[in-house]
Parts: sequence; C-alpha cells; structure tokens
Amino acid sequence: MAVELTGITKRFPGVVANSDINIAVRRGHVHAIVGENGAGKSTLMKILYGMQRPDEGTITINGHTVSFSSPSDAIGAGVGMVHQHFMLADNLTVLENVVLGSEPTRGGVIDFGAARRRITEISDNYGLDVQPDRLVEDLGVGDRQRVEILKVLYRGARILILDEPTAVLVPQEVDELFDNLRELKEEGLTVLFISHKLDEVLQVADEITVIRRGTTVDTVDPAQVTARQLAELMVGSELPTPETRESTVTDEQVLRVADLSVRATDGRPLLEDVTLTIHRGEVLGIAGVEGNGQAELVEAIMGMRVLSGGVVHLGSKDITTWSTRKRREAGIAYIPEDRHRHGLLLDSPLWENRVLGHQTERPNVKGQWIDRASARRDTARIVEQYDVRTPGIDVLASSLSGGNQQKLIVGREMSGSPKVLVAAHPTRGVDVGAQAAIWDYIRDARRNGLAVLLISADLDELIGLSDSLKVILRGRFVADVDPAQVTPEQLGSAMTGAGERP
Amino acid sequence: MSVATAAPRVDLRRLGITIAAPTLAIVFSLLITALILISTGDPVMSTLDQVWAYGKQPRVIALTVNQATTYYLSALAVAIGFRMNLFNIGVDGQYRLAAFAAAVVGSSFELPKPLHLFVIVLVAMLVGAMWAGIAAVLKVTRGVSEVISTIMLNAIATALIAFMLREVAVEVAGSNNIGTKPIAESGALPGIPLIPESPLEVFGFIVVAALAGVAYTVVLGRTRFGFDLRATGHSESAAVASGVNVRRMVIVSMLLSGAVAGLVGMPQLLGGASRSYSLDFPAGLGFTGIAIALLGRNNALGMAFSALLFSFLDASSIILDINDISKEIVLIMQGTIVLSVVVAYELVRRYSIVAEQRRVSRQLAEEQASARPKEVST
Repeated sequence: MAVELTGITKRFPGVVANSDINIAVRRGHVHAIVGENGAGKSTLMKILYGMQRPDEGTITINGHTVSFSSPSDAIGAGVGMVHQHFMLADNLTVLENVVLGSEPTRGGVIDFGAARRRITEISDNYGLDVQPDRLVEDLGVGDRQRVEILKVLYRGARILILDEPTAVLVPQEVDELFDNLRELKEEGLTVLFISHKLDEVLQVADEITVIRRGTTVDTVDPAQVTARQLAELMVGSELPTPETRESTVTDEQVLRVADLSVRATDGRPLLEDVTLTIHRGEVLGIAGVEGNGQAELVEAIMGMRVLSGGVVHLGSKDITTWSTRKRREAGIAYIPEDRHRHGLLLDSPLWENRVLGHQTERPNVKGQWIDRASARRDTARIVEQYDVRTPGIDVLASSLSGGNQQKLIVGREMSGSPKVLVAAHPTRGVDVGAQAAIWDYIRDARRNGLAVLLISADLDELIGLSDSLKVILRGRFVADVDPAQVTPEQLGSAMTGAGERP
Repeated sequence: MSVATAAPRVDLRRLGITIAAPTLAIVFSLLITALILISTGDPVMSTLDQVWAYGKQPRVIALTVNQATTYYLSALAVAIGFRMNLFNIGVDGQYRLAAFAAAVVGSSFELPKPLHLFVIVLVAMLVGAMWAGIAAVLKVTRGVSEVISTIMLNAIATALIAFMLREVAVEVAGSNNIGTKPIAESGALPGIPLIPESPLEVFGFIVVAALAGVAYTVVLGRTRFGFDLRATGHSESAAVASGVNVRRMVIVSMLLSGAVAGLVGMPQLLGGASRSYSLDFPAGLGFTGIAIALLGRNNALGMAFSALLFSFLDASSIILDINDISKEIVLIMQGTIVLSVVVAYELVRRYSIVAEQRRVSRQLAEEQASARPKEVST
C-alpha cells in the first residue's frame, strides 16, 4: 500500500468535517476520490498533504506511520500535490518555476544546467512534453498543469495528489492529462485523483472511493459501477432532478441585451456582440466552460463593468448607463458566483446581510435611516421561509454553512418581487438538500413571472431548469440549444467548440 | 423553527470579549513598563503610586480632560476612515492647516458671539475637508494610496503654515514667539467649571466633541450612508455588488474625516489663553488619534476611554521628571499598549469567530437531535 488513511477525523466548526475516513491506496494505482462539493474531499487532501492535522486517525505512507506538520514534511515523504489553481509565476520560464523554492546550487550559484537536465529527463520519462525555456505566460492551461505536475515530480514525489485537475481543462486536454496519468502509473507512481466528474473518474481510475458528508461510504471498482450508481452513492439517496417541464414562458420581453461587448484593460475582447432576450417566466441558461465570458456577462448586466459596446434594456427602459444600485432598485436581483466576495459581509450579522444589496429599499430603510426593526423582522421571515438553519439572526454570516448562506442570499434576492434574477452558479458548493430547495425557489419564482438568467457549470442543472440554452465560448454565443432535446454529453461537446456551427 | 427577532439583549459574552482585548493589552504594557523600570533601577510600585497621586489632583484631572477632548476629536477623524478601510494618516496636517486658517480668518473681523464662533469652526472644517479631499481625489482618479498622499500632505501642510505664518505673523506679547493676530473676545468659547476644586476650567468645546461622538455613532450605525460606508470597509467587492459607488464613498468619507480633523485644533484655539495660532500650537495630535482609534476600536465610547487614558498618562508623566525618572517611560507605555492591543484584537477576533461557529453548529446539532423523532423530510 502506498497510502493508508485510517480513522481520520477532523472537526471543524460550521462545515462538514471528516469523520472516520478509511482509504487504502495501492502503489501504482490511480485512485479516485469522489464526492460532492463540500463532502470533505479537500479537507482530507489537506490533511494528507500536511496543510492540516487530523484530530484523530493515522496516516501510513509505504508502511510507515507519519505525522505531517507542514507540506514540506509531506514532500519529504514523497507526497506532492497539484492544486486546482495553478501556483506559477507567469513572468518566469518553466525552468525557473520548477526550481523555485528548491534551487540546485553549485558554489552559491543556481545551477540551471543541472536543473534543465533533470527537467528534460523527468519530462521524457513520463511523456510530459515540457519545454524548460518557455515563458509560463505563453503556455496554455494544459501545459501549465503539466508544469505543475513536473514541479511536484522534480521535488521527488512518488505519490501525487491532483485536486480537481480537470475543472479548467477542455476535453482534449483532459484526454492528454489521462494519458499522462497512465504513464505515471506505469512508472510505479501513485496518483490520488479528486473529482466530482463521474464519467472522467470512471475512465481513468483503478479504484474509486466515495465520500459523503465527511466520511467514506464505499470503495468500488470502476468496472463494476455505472455513473448513476456512483452518483447515488455520492448523494446517498435518489438523485433530485432539477426538471421543470411545463413552460411558463410568455412573450413579454423583460431583459434584452444587444451587441454587448466588453474588453479587458489590455484590449483583449472578453465578450463580443452578445445578444440575448429573456421573457417573463423564462429561464435562460448559459452553458460554457468557466472563463469564457460568463462572469463578464453577469457583471455587465449588473452594471459592474464598463462596456465597450452594446445596450441593455430592462422592459422598455434603456438601462445601459445605469449604476448597479439603480439597476437593483429597478428589479434586477443578483445571486453572485462567489458568495463570500460578492454576496455577503461575512463579519456582519445575518440581518445586516439582509440589508446588503437592498439598502435603499423597504423594509430595510425608511428614508435615509436603516429601519432595524423591520429589517430584522424580514430577516426572520427569510430564515423561516427559506429554511436557513441558524440559531438566530444576530449570528455572523461566517458561522453558517455554505448551503445556509446561499439560502439566505436566495431569500434576500427573491424579496421585493424582482423582475429579473441573475443567478451565477446558484447551487455551487451547497449540499444536496439546499440544492433541491434552491431549484424549487427558482422554479416557483419563474412560475410567478420572474425572468432568470442562469449561469452554471452543472449541466444537469442547466438542462433541467432552463427553458432555453445558449452556449458561450471565448466571449461569444456559439449555439442555441433546446434543453428538452439535448443530453449533457452533447452540451458538453458544444461548450468546447466541437459543436460549433458555421 | 422559531427565530428571535427581538433586539438582542446585552450579550454578555460579546461584551466580555470586547473588553478582554484592551484590558489584556493594558496589563501587558504595565508589565513591560515595570520591567523597564526595574532594569533602570527605579522602584516600580512607588513610581506608579506617584503617577497616580499626581494624576488625581483636580487641576491635573482638568488638564487630562482637556487634552482628551482634542485627542478624542482626532481619533474620531481617523476612525471615520478606518471604518471604510481608509488610512487617513493626514489628520495631523489637516487639523494644523485648518486651525491656522481659522485663526487667520477669525482674527480678521468681529461678529456677534455665536456667529463668530460658528464662522471660525466652519472655516476649520472646510479647510480640513479640503486638505483631506486632495488625497481622496488622487486616490479615486489616479489610484494613489491615501497613506502615501496624506503623509506627503502633512509635510506640505507644515511648510505651508511656516511660510504663511511669516506673512501674517505678529509677535506674541511678552515672548519671542510669533503667531497669528489673536481672535477677538467675541470668538472666545468660555470654559466649563466641570471639575470641582480645580482652578482650571474644562474647554467648552468638550460639548462639541461629545456631540460629534454621538453623531458618529448614529450616522455610521443607523443611516443608509453609514451602512454603505461600513459595508465598503468590510468587503469592497460585496459593497460594489450591492450597488455602492465606492469612488463616491471614498471622496465623501475622506471629506468627512478631514472636516472632523478640522475640529481638532478648535478647543485650544477658541478656549486657550492666546486665541491665536503660534509656533507652539500643539502638533502631532493626529498621530495620537491613530493610536487612540486603534485602542478604542473605532467605537465612540471606546475611543473616549482611550483618549482619557492617553491624556492621563501624558498629564501625570510630569511628576516623573520632577522625581528624576525619565518621563519617556510613558511614551513606551503608550506604544506597547497600541502594539499589544492590535495583536490582542486580532487574536480575539479570530477566537470569537471560531467560537461563534462552534456555538452555531452545536446549537443546530442540538436542535436537530431534539427534532428528529418527529422530523418529516421537507
């Protein structure tokens, strides 16, 4: 066994921790660990990588019991981690990035010659195809990931942890990554592969361990299970389906965006000539690999971005030049993608978070004054109505779990009868119960005439909730898809440009 | 689930946590001070005794209160910025320039009493706001850090006052000091005999300082503007998403901070004996204000206590010199208080967030456990 985790328990306030986790990973295997967002995968890997200490349980590496107090201990024991977000310096070469922090020296000078030889050697051995002298900023995402893997191998790791490595990759890159992983495996390395994308896991793993609510549920052989069975293991019950079938779409246009363009500060186009219309009672879904302009589209509609062209209409009004506040007052509700950065004041009590984003509207204010009493009353209403699990409205937002924070945000944004809801990843990182509840709220609001712009990375969610779907790629809409007809697979290939129409 | 909506009872736990940090810091700095006294061979207890005995005389108490009044205004000015994550290091330059301008304008005419006072204070606030406004405009239009620009503006203010003082100065009677012409009697703010048995009256401006503290609390805690300001301080990204115009907030809060800074010199100018801005007009109050705002945690009441503590230490340190103990020991003490309070607040903040998370998850777990028998999945 390369890695054995026995009885690992980690208590954490407010979030799902690990309890009694047991995993055994064979040497030379690709071992996948799957679980929903928030199931405790990342905590577990942080423990294995020495970033956090377990409260109970033992870690055994190659038969020796170890206790890591920092990542450098883990690296010393041959455990390396490739993070989901790359940690590379753009303005340095591959070579410089790889040696950064463990520079080989000769007579006090960095020995780049030796480093280059080792990098080339590792790259050739494992078929990574990394060129040491290229600047990282010139590399694509897949190349960068290989640099990260090489960095870990360079430091002598024989056990690799890959945290959601495919989240940022397009399918061809995923295939390449999997080829690399097989190569590593053949050379006797062990890979721990964390993911929640089941079909990928089934493709590449030799064994799969499922984690649910912080504990290991089962370890299965990929040849024996289907994606559906895996998903049910992950969720623990029958899967909720986000389907909305009976159409409530009217022909009344609520939000209309025409020829919208946004440029980065260096002039690079982020959004180009984007046009969309959402009607009363319609959910318009936007499908796309993350980073293809979705965030810019949302921010442009919310008035948080400078446009380089195009117009935004709300009903019959041209709101292109309106401020964010005026747009919100006019009835555009907003569930931001990153609730910690954009949706909440984490260090403030719940009732102040109820006011946030609606600080000019009743019941939160009376004229220039904050109306504490009625804001508090309304917070209590949201807590009850949207089933926010909290002991009271004076606790800080940071003490709620992600799902409950999100329910509070959803409840807040649904208040004051909005006309449009801009929802970016509304169920990201929330537990299944909260996910189903949020879907219900969106469906109810749609039935009552809300126009919804839904951005999501969850294809089932997009297909299930949307009345119509658009596919975004490199800042442009490349396809219109009928959610009643399309499968997640077809949608997935359209998102990567494979289904691009002339 | 039932949810408590009633206004929170005084939360003893939170109150305890809030007071714990400054108390710890003060105790810690007393220890450091004691160690220093021991190392220089001075008797610890009798030194503290002397300070206490000297400090509780009525005249010294009046001095303490007067000094605290100016410290308090300075801390308020700093705190307005702090609440929005703006570091107005320039309160020092703002109040000195404001006091100088107010002295020049105020001494150039006579008006009926309340009006004359009003005009002088108004000029001071406007000049303070203007000087702070320069930093705000630079930040909003060119992205210049307000820390850098306000420090620079302090230096510029010093030079500007020195230059202009030469233009308008008259000799202060009976000394070789120079200053602006004294403000006429109609611009004098009478003192208040607040401390019994003290030959010294307390600055009349203490009323304005107290009102400013109340206004600060009300505006920040109860108004839309205050909410926007605090939201921006907590999380600029969340504030932007909620519709706050952050640029506008930077300008407005800097102007406000500068206007309050303009008040800092007023107790001395209107209530002092000379009623003029001379070379020995108190300087450096802006920096003390930063320390007091930190210690008082930007809370109106907390800053009042810290201002009193600092000025008590200042006023009673005189006795140390007389007894041949270096009075700089007080500076060391003030310094350690501020340093350790910053550390203590951060520790307490982290601790209380974790404690609250624990409490919430425990409470929810209990609730769930007691509800389980009759739970119906929703």
